[in-house]
Parts: sequence; structure tokens; C-alpha cells
Amino acid sequence: MAIALTTEILLVFWVVNAIWIVFAKKTYRVMIFFGVFSLITSVIYLFLGAPDVAMAEAGISAFATIFFIVCIEKYYSRGSGLKAEMASAAKPRNYFKLVAAFAFVAMLCGLFIFFVPTTTEYAYTELRDLYLFQFMRDVGGRNAVTAIYLGYRVYDTLFEALLLVTAVVAVIHLSWFDRTIVADGRHSEVERSRMTKFAMRIVCPIILLFGMYLVMNGHISAGGGFLGGLAFALFLVCRFMVLGVYDLPIEKAMKLEELVFINIIILPIFAIFTGFIYFYGYATEMFQNIYLIAMNFLVGLKVAFGFFVLFYRYIAIERLPDKEEVVEAFDDGED
Amino acid sequence: MTVGDIHVLEIFPILVFFISFFGLIISRNIVKAIVLIMLMQTSVILFWLGLGARLGNIPPIFQDATEVYDPNTIADPLPQALMLTAIIIGIAVTAINITLLNALFRKYQTVDWQPMQDLATVDERPES
Amino acid sequence: MPPQMLTFFVIVPVLIAVFLYVFFTLKIARVIAIAVQAAFMVPAAWLLFATQESEIAVTVGDYEGFLGIILRADLLAAVFVCLTVFIFLVVGIYTVQTPYDRTKRLYLFLIFLLEGALIGLFLTRDFFNIFVLVEVSTVVVTILLMYDRERRNLFAGMTFLMVNIIVMQLYLFGLGYIYMLTGVMDMEAASAVLYTMDDRSLALPYALIMTSIASKCSLLPMLTWLPKVNSLTGSRFTIAAIMSGLHIKAGVYLFIRFQDVFGGMGTDFFLVIGIITAVAGVIMALSQTDVRLLLAYSTIAQVGLIITGLSLGDGYSRVGSLFHIVNHSLFKVALFLCASQITYLYHTKDIRKIRGALRQTPLIAAANIMAILGIIGAPLFNGSISKYFLMSGATGATEWIIILINLGTILAFVKYAAIFFGKPLGKVRTEGGDEPDFNRRAVVLGLGIICLALGIGGAQAMDFLFDAPVSLSFWSYLEKVGIFAASVAIGILIYRYAISKREFLPKLNGLSLSFQQICVSIGAFFAVLVIYIGVF
Repeated sequence: MAIALTTEILLVFWVVNAIWIVFAKKTYRVMIFFGVFSLITSVIYLFLGAPDVAMAEAGISAFATIFFIVCIEKYYSRGSGLKAEMASAAKPRNYFKLVAAFAFVAMLCGLFIFFVPTTTEYAYTELRDLYLFQFMRDVGGRNAVTAIYLGYRVYDTLFEALLLVTAVVAVIHLSWFDRTIVADGRHSEVERSRMTKFAMRIVCPIILLFGMYLVMNGHISAGGGFLGGLAFALFLVCRFMVLGVYDLPIEKAMKLEELVFINIIILPIFAIFTGFIYFYGYATEMFQNIYLIAMNFLVGLKVAFGFFVLFYRYIAIERLPDKEEVVEAFDDGED
Repeated sequence: MTVGDIHVLEIFPILVFFISFFGLIISRNIVKAIVLIMLMQTSVILFWLGLGARLGNIPPIFQDATEVYDPNTIADPLPQALMLTAIIIGIAVTAINITLLNALFRKYQTVDWQPMQDLATVDERPES
Repeated sequence: MPPQMLTFFVIVPVLIAVFLYVFFTLKIARVIAIAVQAAFMVPAAWLLFATQESEIAVTVGDYEGFLGIILRADLLAAVFVCLTVFIFLVVGIYTVQTPYDRTKRLYLFLIFLLEGALIGLFLTRDFFNIFVLVEVSTVVVTILLMYDRERRNLFAGMTFLMVNIIVMQLYLFGLGYIYMLTGVMDMEAASAVLYTMDDRSLALPYALIMTSIASKCSLLPMLTWLPKVNSLTGSRFTIAAIMSGLHIKAGVYLFIRFQDVFGGMGTDFFLVIGIITAVAGVIMALSQTDVRLLLAYSTIAQVGLIITGLSLGDGYSRVGSLFHIVNHSLFKVALFLCASQITYLYHTKDIRKIRGALRQTPLIAAANIMAILGIIGAPLFNGSISKYFLMSGATGATEWIIILINLGTILAFVKYAAIFFGKPLGKVRTEGGDEPDFNRRAVVLGLGIICLALGIGGAQAMDFLFDAPVSLSFWSYLEKVGIFAASVAIGILIYRYAISKREFLPKLNGLSLSFQQICVSIGAFFAVLVIYIGVF
């Protein structure tokens, strides 16, 4: 009962937050509200019995907020952005348009709620029960979510990992900055305060340890490869940005990410796609655990390298002052 | 708890979904539009997680393999696994969006939809 | 081959993509890419023959029941897989001699990823897997559209990406309701449950999902196609060819599948939408001056025609539409590749400034004319066969509307065909001067000949590809030939006296609408669809 009441209060606050984001006039306020919004969301996920998703949401929102802040920082530091925003905010809103848009969306929302199917709500639970009863036998581990993520639906997971690889490639290829100038360490040392450095020297190993814990225990408790990977990424970022240890050039990190991705494909090919290990009767618990831990570890490494590259791009490259873009003259042909 | 016939975990995601849709229609700022798209994704994910799970359900993690659980008290694992995928897809696409926005900002010195579109249509017009 | 091979149709291109990107130098990567694409024709052909008898179904990982992801290859999926492999091979051969730059490996990486994702889309029958694959293909296409640094269309590309993400959120929402109602993620199992339900409770999931699918097909009252078309002006011709030839067809394929899942709800609605799309696409195509935009809008018109044919509810029309999908892919790719060559020779992409191409580059012009004859439905060419069957289910007003749409297509391509005649207006490169382009000419000529061959053996091809023994009635075909001849005559007359003199609707040229308007159009489409299904 207490949980239900808390959740309802949180949900109301959640909606209020969304309204604040819509009507916020300054971009940095949007960022703050977004952080609060994500925090509330992950608490609600936790109450719904979804600790994996809750942790993923919390981790993701932290990274996303940093990306956004980097984006906005540039926008504010020029001054022109700030002025433009103030001018834009000072411009009187077109109230007719506002009311028309509100009426339109309210009509859509009303239609949506009117047609919500209520008659057979959640009538078919056979699949859920099968998953819950069989996953220990079929895939192993103690965590049903990990069993589905890395066992039953590993085919989806491959493409999701692929999308992250593609996103890293896209961020580098579509950026305003030419990638050839990237590979050196001169943007590495962002933080110069000795205090922070000292603190980080202590915290870094703990982060790494935490990441290892998440990865190794992903199959028996909440956490798993993705969360462990975020912790690894945080470790790399701290080492690189705060301590200034530049021993993983960005090109190498990208290459490592792709190599790990190849392994992420190959391991399930042998373990699952051919149906080799997981025929019932063949599989021993040890095999299953080795597969799950290895897979979690690989996913973790890939996420770590991917997010490290993204982070590096946003902190070190996207914030650089403008200069003439280096465009090499080559004829692509007209095809 | 339900509002009318609809469960409270269904109605709030719908509300936030349409609030962010409303925001997308009225907002002038592209940064805000990207945030609102993330809000949209979050609302869909909460809707999915609310499908099978009811409040106070225990997570689908069994420390004791021998004990027998009533499946109706356990959260449905399938939506959770799917939404884990959806969250990661969401952050990947958001990263690309932010990069594109940054590149556009360097080019046109604005993050508002209308001025940027005016500048871009001059720039990216088909050849004639 | 064991049915487990189905998984590898998707995994192998993805693996090769990463391998090429990581391990090989440019020179070797190019050779391997072509070799792999050619070798891939063998398993694709095997799939086509194997599915003639029965559907191949495989659960990834051999899990029982609907626990795992189920891939199913029936004949339709096999045809689409074959088409995908073939088009990528054609484009691969065409670009093999492109002066490559330091990002060429990235290009190969993305091309193979797109191939894998599209084949995956055609084979999978799992709702959520479709979501993941559509997102992957959207991201890959976004990068490909903005591939060249110097001329990328950042604004249109970003709008394209954002609109597509919003649309996929609608899909995911609808999927949630499907899961709530059926408890499974597999199409066949879900449709068995969905058949028993009434229209009103299905209205919301149907509207949510079909809004996103319709946006993937570029159906018209929704404006989601605008940023896509606008970003084409900064992309390469080969990317435009893949977009028009395959990427949009993936949307049509999903449309077919989801209409089957929901048991043919809302066919009347999509009949009207298809006609609107076709008419508006033709008008938009007529008003363009950029070659790529003209061809892209003509694609939208043809997709509208295909959706119309699929929604007529007639067996012959359905098969005709399916055949038209294949045909359209072939001749649209040929058109784009020919246009690439011609615009390269003429230094311009404006069709008003290109004249006398037939004399300048006879082989490519011949291939181009063959493709045009295909798309306008000239007798003996493939387009005529598929359009004949597509129209056979239409009666009364619908039939006349389709004839008018075809007249519009003819008009647009009469405008396009003006580039072959007359004298060149500006400086022209000499053919074969800068680079050897034997392979390019061979590719486009081959595509043109395939268009002709599929026209002559049309009925047999349809029987083989879609397992539909069709018979072509000679006298009614002759009637269609008469209508075609009359249409061409009218088209040339209208062009001569109305269009060639002044610009046709110049405001539509380079049309660009704001992101907010596109969002409103998505919402409006959803509202109309849900009211139509739920109330009527």
C-alpha cells in the first residue's frame, strides 16, 4: 500500500516534470528537469520489480545529461546563443497557435484513451510463466531478464550492440570535426585540480571493482553487462579526463570495440544459433554460467569502449573552438 | 489503482507521451525537441514495464532455485529484457542527434527550428 | 542446407561488414566485398527454390514454442531476399571503380550492414525484432544519406532521423498493446489470437502500428517523406537508388505482413490513401527539376499505386502489386544509375540543362530508355505485365483513376526523356575519358535487358516468384496496349503544349516544411485511422 501511494505521488510529479520541460524557457532548466525526470522514472521502475531497467535508465540518463550539457555549454559560451535564446523567449508566444496545438493534442489524447482496449487486459500469461519456469533449465543463471537478454532473444541483443557500434561510427563521421585531427592526447587533461585528482585516484579502482562485480554477477543478480560496461566506461573516462593518463587512443578504442563486437556475434553462433550447447540434456550448469559470464563481459567491454569514445568526442572534440574545417580535396565521383 | 477502466500505470505514460508530443509541436528549440523525444521513449518504456508488473512485484531474480514462487507475484521478465534493448537504442540515436545538432549549430549559429530551416533551405536547395 | 542457415543470411553480412572495416586494406576489401556479394546470390537462389515447396521456419537457438525469436522464410520473403542481394550486387559492381577515399571502408561497412538489416527485416516474423532492425536500418541510412562531407544535407538528415524515431515510438506503443492482448511477440501466434477480437479493441494498436508502417512506406497525407526526399539532394545516386529500390520496399513488405496479421482491417482506408499518394506523387514529380527528386517522387507515386493494388482485395491485383514491387526496384535502380552517369557527363543535375544524351552516350541512353519503357508500362516490358494484373481487380472509378495515374507517370517521364534529344547546352565530358566505366555500362544495360526479359516472360516469372498461375488474356492485354498508346499520345501532347513552355507548379520544387508540421501530420493520420477503424 505504501509503495502504491508513493508510486502514485511519484507519477504525478513525473507528469508535472514533463510539463515543466515543455514550458521551460531556458535550456539549462530543461536539463535539470530532465535529470529529475529520469531519476523518478528509475525509482518507479524499481517499484515495478525491474531493477535491471532501473539501473540502466539511471546510468543512461547520467550520460545523456552530460552529452546535452556539452551541447548547451557551447551554445551559451558563445554569448550569441544566450542572446538568441533571450530574444526568442522574449518574443510573445502566438497564443492562437498554442491553443490550437493544445486542442489538437488533447483530441489525440482523448481518442487514444477512448480506444484503449480494456476487455481482455493481460489475459495471456502462458509465455511469462514458461519463461519463469524454464529459464534456469534452458539458459541458466538466476536472473530471468539476463536469460532472455542473452539467451532466448540474443538475436535482438546482437543488433542492439550493432546499433551502438554504428552510433559511434556515426558520431565520428557526422561530426563537424574532421576525424584525422583527432588522434592525439592534447585534449586529455581537462581537470587540473589536485584535490579532484587525489580523490579520483582513490575512486577509480573502486569504480572498476564495481564494474567487475556487476559483470560477474549479471547472471545471478541485477546488473549485467550493460551496467558493468557503463562502470568500465566511467573508469576509463576518469582515468583519461581527470588523471590525464592517455594510453588508449580513440582510434584504438574504436577498433577494440569492433573486435569485441565480432566476438559478441561469434560466441552466440557457437553457443546458441546452432543449438549446440543448449539442447536440453546436453547443457551443464557450468557451461551455461561460462557462456553467460563471457557474454556479459563482452557486452560490458563493448559498451565501455563505445561510451568512452562517445564521451571523449563530446568532452574533448565537440567543445573545441571553431576553426577552419580541414576538408581534403578528393573527387568522390558522381555516383 | 485505476482511473475509470484504465490502470494508473497505463494512463500516466499516455499523458506524458502526449505532453511530449505537444511539446514537439510547440517548441522552437531543437535541444528541447531531442529531450522531448527521450521523454517520449521513457513514457513508452514505463508503459511496457507496467504491462505485466503490478506495484510491489518482486523482480524476476531467484536467489533460491528450489523455492516455488507464485508467478503472479513476479514481474514479467520479457518486457524488461525488451525495454533494456529499447533504452540502449534510445541513447544511441540520441547521441547521433546531438552530434548532428552540434554540427548544425557550428554552421548556422542557432538552435531554433525556424531560423535554422530558413538558412538550411537556402543552403540545401536542389540544384537548378 | 539445414534450416538453421536462415540465421546466417542475416549474421554473415553483418560479420563481413565488421571484418572488412577492421581487418582489410582498401584494395582487398573492395575485391572481397564484390566476391561476397556475388557469392551471396547462391544461398539466395537456394532459398527461392527451397521455399517453392514449403515455408522454412527456424527458432534462433532451438527454443521450444514461442520462447525464442522465430525466423520464417516463405516465398514472398525469399523473393525479397533475392531482390535485396541482387540490388546490392548491382550497386556493388557499379561502384567498384569509384575513386575511393579514406572512408571507403566505412562505406562498405554501412552497405553490408544495410544489406544484413534488410534481409533480417524480410526474414524475421517477430514484432520486437522488426523494431530493432528498423532502427538499425534507419540509422545506417541516415549516415549513408549524409555520407559525403562536402555536400551533406545536415538539416534534412537530422529531421529525417528525428521524425523516424518519433514514428517508431508509436510502433513500440502499439506493440505494447499487442503484447497485452496476446502475450506473444510472434506474428503468426499473435494473429491467431487477434482474429478472435473485435475491431474496437484492435483499433488502437492497429492505428499506432499502421501509422508508423505507413510512414515507412512514405504514404502521403503524412509528410514524413519530405525530409527523406530533401536529404537525397546531398547524397550519392547509388544511395538514392538503394533508398528507392529497397529501403522503401521494406516498408511495403511490412505493410503486407501487418495487414495479414490484422486480417485485412482498413483496406478501404489504405485504398484511398494509396490513390492520394499516387496522385500527389505524380504531381510532385512533374514539378521537379532535379533528376534525383523527380525519380524519388515518381517512386512515391509508384508505391501509392502498389498500396492501392494490395488494398483492392483481389487475388490478381495482389500478385500484380507484388510483381510490380520487384519490377519497380529493378527499373528504378537502373534509372538512378543511368542518371548518375549522365549527370556526371553533363556536370549538372538539372534536367532542363541536359540535352542530347542519346548521341553523347548511346549505350547508357538505351538502357535508360528501356527502364523508362518499363516504368511507364510499355508493352513487352515488365511494367506492363505487373500493371495489367494490378489493374485487373479495379473496377469503375478506381480503374480510371489508375489509368490517370499512369498518364501522369508517362507525362513525368516524357519530361524526363527530353534529356535524350536535342543538342547539348553546355560543356560535356567525353565518355570513358576520365575513368574506365565498362562495368557501369554493363550493369545498367543488364538491368534494362532484365526489364525486357521479365516483360516477355512475365506470366512465367509471376508463376515462379509468387506461385500464382496467372493467365494473360490476349484481347484484354491488347486493350491495355491501346490505352497505353492513347496515354502516350496524350502525354506527349500535354507536354508539348502545356508543360514544356513554363514551369509546372514551381512552388512545389524544393518544398520544405517544418518539423512541427510533420509532427502534426503524423498525429492527424493517426487520429483519422483510429476513428475509421474504431467507429466504422
